Amino acid sequence: MGLIQRIIDWIDERAHVRELYKSLMIDYKVPKNLTFPYVFGVFALVTFVIQIVSGMVLLLYYKPSIADAFDSATYTIMGEIPFGWLFRHIHATGANFFMAIIYLHMFTGIYYNAYKKPRELVWIVGWLIYLVLILTALSGYLLPWGQLSYWGFIVTTEIPGSLADAPIFKDFFKAIAETIVLWMKGGYVVTDITLGRVFGSHVLIYPLLLLALVGVHLYLVRAAGISNPDGIEYDKKKHPDKFVPFHPYMTLKEGAYTMWYLAIFFFFVFFHISHFLPPDNFEPANPLKTPAHIAPEWYLLAFYEVFRSIPSKFWGFVAFSALLLFLLILPVLDWSPLKSARRRPLFFVAFLAFMYGSMALTILGSMEPTPLNAKLGMIFGAVVFGFFLSLPIISFIEYGWYKAKGGKEQ
Amino acid sequence: MTPWGVIKTIIFGGSTLVFFFILWFYNPFKHVEHYEVDEEVKEIIENPWKKVDEKSGKTIADEGRELFIQRCAGCHSLRYDGIYVAPVQADPRWKKVEQAAGRPVYRFGVLYKDRFFVPRDVYEAFAHEVLESFKSSFGQVPPDLSTIYLARGEGYLYRFILNPNEILPGTSMPPVFAGPSAKEETAKVVAYLKSVNTPPPQEQTKRAIMGVAVILYFVIFGALFWRYREVVLRRLGYH
Repeated sequence: MGLIQRIIDWIDERAHVRELYKSLMIDYKVPKNLTFPYVFGVFALVTFVIQIVSGMVLLLYYKPSIADAFDSATYTIMGEIPFGWLFRHIHATGANFFMAIIYLHMFTGIYYNAYKKPRELVWIVGWLIYLVLILTALSGYLLPWGQLSYWGFIVTTEIPGSLADAPIFKDFFKAIAETIVLWMKGGYVVTDITLGRVFGSHVLIYPLLLLALVGVHLYLVRAAGISNPDGIEYDKKKHPDKFVPFHPYMTLKEGAYTMWYLAIFFFFVFFHISHFLPPDNFEPANPLKTPAHIAPEWYLLAFYEVFRSIPSKFWGFVAFSALLLFLLILPVLDWSPLKSARRRPLFFVAFLAFMYGSMALTILGSMEPTPLNAKLGMIFGAVVFGFFLSLPIISFIEYGWYKAKGGKEQ
Repeated sequence: MTPWGVIKTIIFGGSTLVFFFILWFYNPFKHVEHYEVDEEVKEIIENPWKKVDEKSGKTIADEGRELFIQRCAGCHSLRYDGIYVAPVQADPRWKKVEQAAGRPVYRFGVLYKDRFFVPRDVYEAFAHEVLESFKSSFGQVPPDLSTIYLARGEGYLYRFILNPNEILPGTSMPPVFAGPSAKEETAKVVAYLKSVNTPPPQEQTKRAIMGVAVILYFVIFGALFWRYREVVLRRLGYH
């Protein structure tokens, strides 16, 4: 018996790790027919780890003060510190990939209706993760203290301020708007104090929240079981042939996919960073010089386009928030117990409209604001709203068909 | 996979790829100004580290730095390479500030003992009166040019330095290079600005080799994982 074996035995006698490993990895069964998009959850987890590790390295050299922030990011980290550039590239790529993977993960969840009973809590916690992730991205965006960082932050913090344009109860909404803006900025102007707050939230508060929420999310997925692309909840005891052990069946498959995902990731890190560290942000923040076109990063462009294509700022803000809220209450909107777009032709069509609608909004958001752009933004905004608002009706019709065909209660 | 499954894979996979291609590679809907460097001086900006004099080992970037100190440093600082506006540089007290508050410039593995990087607030406090006088005569403080190459790109800088008013009407920046060698000198200054912000060729090669190695590692290990999985699954009787 080798020394390593004896050490493991020694630990096992005291911590019972083998039992834990067996129950978590081998006795845990997952559906055999999971499709490729189910891997996005693992990608998100891997990217999260990458972000934490690369963020820790950047944290060693970054200085959160207005005088030093830009230089510490652009001079110290990019030039003075060996491999500092690598960690900044990884962190910037990771931020973009994280949002992209989270969107793909969300769209997968919507497509397979993974938000329905018994997985409503998984969806709600996932929605919270998405919100905290947006906050993390926004706060991290300010830290390099470039022109884009500064003006992007100003514009974002001004968005809740549009509540002040309310048609009724003006004073009431104005008070709320001012409070939110003040609370986000940490003062009436952006100063060292603001940067300190944003820095603290980005490196400590939001990551801790994310860690906790991701832990809960993973627990809930295991507790409720992974959804099935077929949309049918198979019983693990009655249909053992439909399930496979998590390890080695899933772990090796997802391991291989993760390796290939990382290959793509590092292609961007080494050879294609210009879209993640945009040129405009290499100009130090200048509060006296507003750039011509300020737009948020790509992952918020769809919301931004909805916001700016509506002529009234107040209603723009309401629409913007409504979209986020619709995502949260998806399990309520789509009320029928029928699951998975595979079995739901109407939902499949609506999903396509929703997907292309959000893509079109994102691309429109990256263009200059023209009257035509605003008109198209309104149309595609209506498509996306239409998806959410038609869900109760689609549910009703499809459930009717299902019953008429003699489908059983689920 | 069923034919319908193949169609769905193409629809979803294809539109996702096209979408991210537009976002992360090339967005045909977004208008971007494009500036070109003149053909005859392109070569100068191409490789700022090229030696012009074998004996002294002087490079194009070194020549550009001298030109920068002569023609640009009257108003512009370049703190990442230890250049500060002329009135400050001429102040005998500045040497002491550099020693006390700054550190020697160290960039891409090369130490420049005679150039000092001084934190922005220290420099701006020391140069306060000079910068204020610039502000009153030009309308704004001429910006520090440490990262201007990354922000604007070589085409814009070349055109702008050659003829500021054509690119930015109403700017208080005068055309500083005139005469027959104007294009060449402008190109040398741009090459210098590039050399401050871009890693030198051997460092770039090192990074490229590292990148290829990392990518190959993941591609190969992914394939090995996949192969190993098939063996394991066959042994367990899943295939």
